Amino acid sequence: MLALNALRLVERSFIVFTFLAMVTLYFASVVAREIGGDVATSFAWIEEAVRMLNLFMVFFGLGLALERGRHVGIRNLRAKLPPAALAMALKLTDVVGLLFSVYIVWLGIEMVQFVMNSGQRSPTLGIPMGLIYLAPTIGFGLLGLRYALSLFGLIDRFSGEEAAE
Amino acid sequence: MIVALIFILALLLLLFGFEMLLVLGLPALAYKQSFYATMPDIIVVQKILGGIDHTTLLAIPFFIYAANVMGSGQIARQLVDVVKSLVGHTRGGMGHVVVGGSMAFGSVSGSAPATVAAIAKMVYPELRRAGYSDKFSLGLIVSSAETALLIPPSITMIVYGWMTGTSIAQLFAAGLAVGLFLGLAFAIYVMIVAARDKVERSPRAPWSDRLVLIWQAKWALGMPAIILGGIYSGLLTATESAAASVVYALLVELLVLRSLSIKDVFRITEQSAINTSIIFVLLAMGGLVSYFVTLAQVPNQIINFIMAADAGWISFLIVVNILFLVIGMFIDPNSAMLILVPPLYPVAMALGIDPVHFGMIVTLNISLGMITPPFGLDIFVASSTLGKSVATIISGVGPFVVVNLIVLLFITYIPQISLFVPRLIFGG
Repeated sequence: MLALNALRLVERSFIVFTFLAMVTLYFASVVAREIGGDVATSFAWIEEAVRMLNLFMVFFGLGLALERGRHVGIRNLRAKLPPAALAMALKLTDVVGLLFSVYIVWLGIEMVQFVMNSGQRSPTLGIPMGLIYLAPTIGFGLLGLRYALSLFGLIDRFSGEEAAE
Repeated sequence: MIVALIFILALLLLLFGFEMLLVLGLPALAYKQSFYATMPDIIVVQKILGGIDHTTLLAIPFFIYAANVMGSGQIARQLVDVVKSLVGHTRGGMGHVVVGGSMAFGSVSGSAPATVAAIAKMVYPELRRAGYSDKFSLGLIVSSAETALLIPPSITMIVYGWMTGTSIAQLFAAGLAVGLFLGLAFAIYVMIVAARDKVERSPRAPWSDRLVLIWQAKWALGMPAIILGGIYSGLLTATESAAASVVYALLVELLVLRSLSIKDVFRITEQSAINTSIIFVLLAMGGLVSYFVTLAQVPNQIINFIMAADAGWISFLIVVNILFLVIGMFIDPNSAMLILVPPLYPVAMALGIDPVHFGMIVTLNISLGMITPPFGLDIFVASSTLGKSVATIISGVGPFVVVNLIVLLFITYIPQISLFVPRLIFGG
């Protein structure tokens, strides 16, 4: 469980600092544009950078959201099942979610390799585009890990379920 | 046949409480493997990422963040206090404060659930003290928050604008009129109930007190000025104004009002990031679904059907409203939009419906979906913030759904309500 706590700390710090960086950078670019001239053009890379940061933030939050029961789903009907059937339904959700996540990770790895080989680079930052596809690949990995942990009863992702905002 | 099986799969996943990302994602995968097996599988990842990699959509995390900061700090409370000093003494008193307060918070936040979370605790005890019934109070809080989706900024309109290429600034302008119209309709209903239940009015606040409150709330009131002023002066795009609103909210709450600590800021940032994840993973899966909806030429099939039936825009819009109402009851409104807009929008255009007008119909339906049981996001948020059972809240929502449907009829069949503000601002 020590490893899991360490992972949580990494995920939480990552999404918090990424979000703060997004706000700071984007706001700076707005200010720079209002000043205008050469300052503005030298900030052209910011929009692309913030979009990439957002992708990583979004996908890196998937696992935490699942663990905290925050993903949107309709649980009214499921809650009416008898206990034994409910337990089965929950396990089934975990299995299906795990398989889905693993499949996306597998496709993600293929996609990263494919785009890296194509040598395509982002327009203003010149970052290899393949790296961007690491976001969903890692993100669904983190999501799949939580489905697996829940399947084997190592975390309880259902008791804290609440409405999404 | 296979399509029917895929629908059944989606329905089963939905009913058994699978995460919405699976409810959208798995049927899309099944559809791809059944009908487009030769297409490279990695296209799935490309469409998932393509569903969310867009500058316009960046406004969403920023607006969520700003709303959470304002809701946790003092800005939301100050806005509600100003509204209370202005309308608290009228017939309906606290009821109008809830409608007006939701609209005021809606003018700085683009999310209905965030609005419920921000103001529910503030107004609920006072509603009860004024003599409103439990059911009515809960229904009113949950429903009033809908106006936040209509009054700009609005996350729903940003998504709609991004999906259809409609101007966000024009949608926001139209939303102002539609939001006020809905708020007015709720206010009329509040007056009727207040008269029937002999609800107490608050004492009339003298103008000296009102001015003091307005002066105290000057920083809070600067927020709509930045967002709306920025967008309509042409100085800022929606995304830029969203980023500016986060910085402004943080500065005001941290440095001026000192209502949040650095620790609070980290907590709110984390919470906002996770809120963003939850919405964006649906948008990502929606990108996948709408790709296949378009490939399957669903819009063309609907257009052909309508041509064959010789139906016009009037009957088409009835169908649109019924579809949204029924689907909005069972799945979350954002997912409903992701599934329904790609096939319906081209049809609306073919029938000559204005894209901004159609956007208002969609947004109003989405906000209605937030309060229609069994699955209404606002109901769940109110239930967790106020500690009231979902069943109690649902029992209070009924009359508001009816008011809402009447407003929806007006908006659907009188396009001018939606279009006069954008025309005033942008001409045409």
